[in-house]
Amino acid sequence: MSKLDWGVLVGTIAFIVIYGVWKTRHTRNMQGFLKADNTERWWMMGLSIMATQASAITFLSTPGQAFDDGMRFIQFYFGLPLAMVVLSITAIPIYYRLKVYTAYEYLESRFDLKTRSLAAFLFLLQRGLSTGITIYAPAIILSAILGWNLTATILFIGVVVIFYTVVGGTKAVSQTQRLQMTVMLGGMLVAAVVVVRLLPEGVGFSEALVVAGKMGKLNLVDLNFNPNDRYNVWSGLIGGFFLSLSYFGTDQSQVGRYLGGETIAQSRLGLLMNGLVKVPMQFLILLVGVLVFVFYQFHQPPLYFNQQQADKVRNSDAAPTWQKYEATAQEAFTEKREAALALVKAHQSQDAPGVAEAARRAQLAETARKSIRAEAQALVKAKNNGIDLKDTDYVFLTFVTQQLPRGLVGLLLAVVLCAAMGSTASAFSSLASTTVVDVYKRSLNKTASDQHYVNASRWFTIGWGTVSIFFALFASQLENLIQAVNILGSLFYGTILGVFVAAFYFKRLTGNPVFWAAVLTQGIIFLLYYATPIAYLWYNLIGCVLVVVLAYLLQPLLRKAATE
Amino acid sequence: MKKGDIDPPPFFKTWTGMYWLVLGVLAGLIVLFYLITEAYR
Repeated sequence: MSKLDWGVLVGTIAFIVIYGVWKTRHTRNMQGFLKADNTERWWMMGLSIMATQASAITFLSTPGQAFDDGMRFIQFYFGLPLAMVVLSITAIPIYYRLKVYTAYEYLESRFDLKTRSLAAFLFLLQRGLSTGITIYAPAIILSAILGWNLTATILFIGVVVIFYTVVGGTKAVSQTQRLQMTVMLGGMLVAAVVVVRLLPEGVGFSEALVVAGKMGKLNLVDLNFNPNDRYNVWSGLIGGFFLSLSYFGTDQSQVGRYLGGETIAQSRLGLLMNGLVKVPMQFLILLVGVLVFVFYQFHQPPLYFNQQQADKVRNSDAAPTWQKYEATAQEAFTEKREAALALVKAHQSQDAPGVAEAARRAQLAETARKSIRAEAQALVKAKNNGIDLKDTDYVFLTFVTQQLPRGLVGLLLAVVLCAAMGSTASAFSSLASTTVVDVYKRSLNKTASDQHYVNASRWFTIGWGTVSIFFALFASQLENLIQAVNILGSLFYGTILGVFVAAFYFKRLTGNPVFWAAVLTQGIIFLLYYATPIAYLWYNLIGCVLVVVLAYLLQPLLRKAATE
Repeated sequence: MKKGDIDPPPFFKTWTGMYWLVLGVLAGLIVLFYLITEAYR
């Protein structure tokens, strides 16, 4: 990395951290530390909500996913705007009326303490584990590019975020996220423009789309209903709706963002801004991945994008096999490049049969290349004691470091680091606030001073930061990172959402049956995960419906048992 | 509750209009994405 890239990277990160700490250095009370004194404007909350969801994984895994699987992942976000509308109508007015610090506080006033504690516990478990992955993701980038020790990198990122979150609480999280989101959006826009400019002469944006489309990468919408297929319109609209409802309505890392709003109107606008901007933003990130795919139709890509792992195989007894794979991949690339150029030429001369023939050749070459990549991946897996190490998370990073001009490499790395810091800070802040408000203050130490709880929040931020860092050290054994986070979320979100849906909409249900229904549902979801091939997005719907149905079934039984 | 809690959203007289805007944009995007998928298939 050049000095200019280092300057851009260090300058951006240092400025954001110093700005956040400086602006929030006087935070002294609970209202300020956990709810930013209720001074946030809608656009700040909107950016903060988006920055919380957009982790480094979003900027690493998503372009890689588009490179490998096309743009169909966009359908995952179709349910999000619907959820924003529903939450604006229902959840926000309730949270404001009760003046809660966390979403789980509401459950005690509606049901009982044990239901509140169960929901808070499930959140802490899920968020505590997944935050580890959000720290690990950028750490692998830095260790892969700069050759840094992975453990030291994880520690560095975790400690910086702990530092400014401890100093300024929710206010610091929000102040820094505003700048981080600006860097992220700007960086990805620049990346999209630069990828197109790096394409060969005569291949512009429209030609790139034709090549991507004929190679099956512009598969944005799939109307077929298949519950075992992860991404189609129906799983996105229904499963994605329930996941978003749960994530934005009951996950404290998001609820904490809009509870800091000046008024209900400001909080609503913040959520609706997310509903308007999120899908186009994901489209842009996926499009960058597809454009990188098109770039590699004309430039030789590495056989395996994780160079550390590739070098490991090259330096082992499997080196001759690897060289054979590389030679075969080179042949497939040469054929594909010729076919792609023929495709562009035929498209420009409006030669439909020529387009069809060139597309067929390119697809055949792509199939051959995919097959050799699968064999290379199997070899890497064999050399890693059977651990499946997908290289799609390295695609965008490899492109950035090898192809982008000086200065832009630093900017794109800053994008990834900003994303990591923004989402991690929200997670630390929400983990600390839930622990203090729903556990410590509620059940362990009810009568301490405001200053005591602020100090406790700071200590719990450090504590959860340490747990997340510890978990990050073991995250390398997970498959695709973004899917790992989403699967982890979906395992718990359905149950938590079911509890909140029962609280919001089913007035006849009481605490005891909802509590036991939630416990049973969580067990059933684990069973489904291990025993069935059902796509994970459906767990949100299944979990939510199960809690309500089981609660209704249990209510008369528990009432009867209590009277006997 | 502060006075601003019942403020209408910008550009619309009621919140219903704002909600329809969000849903309308989503519907428009899905249709656009469908057309892109079919056009480049």
